[in-house]
Amino acid sequence: MRVEISYKFIIGFLIVIVSGVVVNLVIPYSAVPVEFQQTLAIACALVIGLIFGVAFSRVFTANFRRLTSAGERISLGDLSEDITLRQSSFPDETEDLAKAMNLIQESLRTLVGNIRGIAFKVAGSAQTLSGTAQEVSASSLQVASTADQISKGAETQAEMVEQSNRLFKEVAMSINLVASSAKRVAESAHQTVETANSGSELAGSSLNSIRHVLAEAESSGQQMVNFVAQLQKIDKFVEVINGIAQKTNLLALNATIEAARAGEYGHGFAVVAEEIRKLADSTTISAEEISGLVAAIRKEGQQVQSSMDQVIREMEDGREAVDHTNQAFTAITQNAVGTRTKANSIAELAEQQIARAEMINQAIDEIDKVVSDNAAATEQVSAATQEQSASMEELAQSAKDLSIMSETLLEIVKQFKLVKQEQG
Amino acid sequence: MTLTLLFNLGDEVYGLEIEALQEIVENPVLHYVPQARGVLRGAINFHGRILAVIDLPDLLGIANAPRDHRRVVLSPVYKSLVLTVSGIQRIVTLDLTDLQPPPENSAGLAIRSQIGLEETMINMLDTDAILKKLEKIYAG
Repeated sequence: MRVEISYKFIIGFLIVIVSGVVVNLVIPYSAVPVEFQQTLAIACALVIGLIFGVAFSRVFTANFRRLTSAGERISLGDLSEDITLRQSSFPDETEDLAKAMNLIQESLRTLVGNIRGIAFKVAGSAQTLSGTAQEVSASSLQVASTADQISKGAETQAEMVEQSNRLFKEVAMSINLVASSAKRVAESAHQTVETANSGSELAGSSLNSIRHVLAEAESSGQQMVNFVAQLQKIDKFVEVINGIAQKTNLLALNATIEAARAGEYGHGFAVVAEEIRKLADSTTISAEEISGLVAAIRKEGQQVQSSMDQVIREMEDGREAVDHTNQAFTAITQNAVGTRTKANSIAELAEQQIARAEMINQAIDEIDKVVSDNAAATEQVSAATQEQSASMEELAQSAKDLSIMSETLLEIVKQFKLVKQEQG
Repeated sequence: MTLTLLFNLGDEVYGLEIEALQEIVENPVLHYVPQARGVLRGAINFHGRILAVIDLPDLLGIANAPRDHRRVVLSPVYKSLVLTVSGIQRIVTLDLTDLQPPPENSAGLAIRSQIGLEETMINMLDTDAILKKLEKIYAG
């Protein structure tokens, strides 16, 4: 049953008064002398009033002490304990106050819990943010260095393109030279063909002349062989004549001997024999002369023949040489025709190459422009990356600040004890 | 005036009176004679007679002398011997009144005497010396 404090005071007061009255009424019936009855009644009334007063005040102050201590606890941040009053059969306003304070505490607890959770999350997010910012910063540093490299590469590229351009112009000049050289070669080859053709004709006529001379030389050689054979016949005749002369000589000797044996009668015969011997001697001498002449003629004939053979061999060599020359002229003509054709095609190719070279030159110019643009763009990228890097550093710094702030907040919120176990 | 046959023996020119000659034969067939030795070179058939062939350069000790294919047949006065010489030249007429004695150190070369003919000194052959030499060799 709910009794408000004011009514409780009133009831207590009434109880004190009633107990005084009751004591006053009871005392006359006791064995207490009358003179002490008044004093006793007052004393009893005082004791009863004191007892009740103390009891009441104790009850009241106990609840208030609890509430006060709870308030102090809450003010220190301990929200772990609910406020409980002693169980009373007559609850009063202190009960309401305790309930209200409990509600406040509950609200505070929820609030602190939320703050703590959010602060945790903020700290985590700040750390993540810081990490991300650092990563982004590192990435942008990398991007910056890469952009630097690209920039350097672009410079090298530009140099290379310039060099390529220069080299290609040289190449184009060389191609021009090749084209003009090829034309000159073609003209030379044409002249060579004409010269070789006339040379070939000359060689052909030389060959005919040589063949003619060779035929004549061969018939002369044959005549010479016949001549030498006839000389051998003459030699045989001379031998025969020689033999006859020797026999005649012998006969003359023997005839002289016989004539001598015949003495005076053989004298005329001896003279004839002497004449025969002289004839034989002169025959022998003539035969020897003929033989010598024949030998000389044979020797000269052999020389003539060997000279003729030599001439024939040389003519053969000459014919072979002219033949080779002719073949060489033919080969030269063929080669020169081939050379002319090839040189012409080289000249055509070179002209085509010149056209292509101009196209390539234009392409290289465009590449040059693109490379310049690339270099500019890369420098912009580099600048942007540096800016980004600076921003990221700022962001990282902010994230660190945020992290510190969230830690401070957590530190503050930690002062609140939400659960009882945390007290340990 | 004497007809004389001139012939060579090695480098020397010899002369032989034509009366001592029978004939000059050309390249006769030389027949083998059993037990023939030294200067006896064989035998030839001379008109049906068998004649001994003597190598005169060997007999006179003249080395490196050539041989003529004609041979000199001596008259029967000289046993009809056949002589091989280095070369038969010709028959000349010599005036034998101007003979000179043989040179010294010419012993064994069968030189009876010498006579000049057109800057050539002719040794007249000593046929008796040859016969003596042969007898000395083939005695017995």
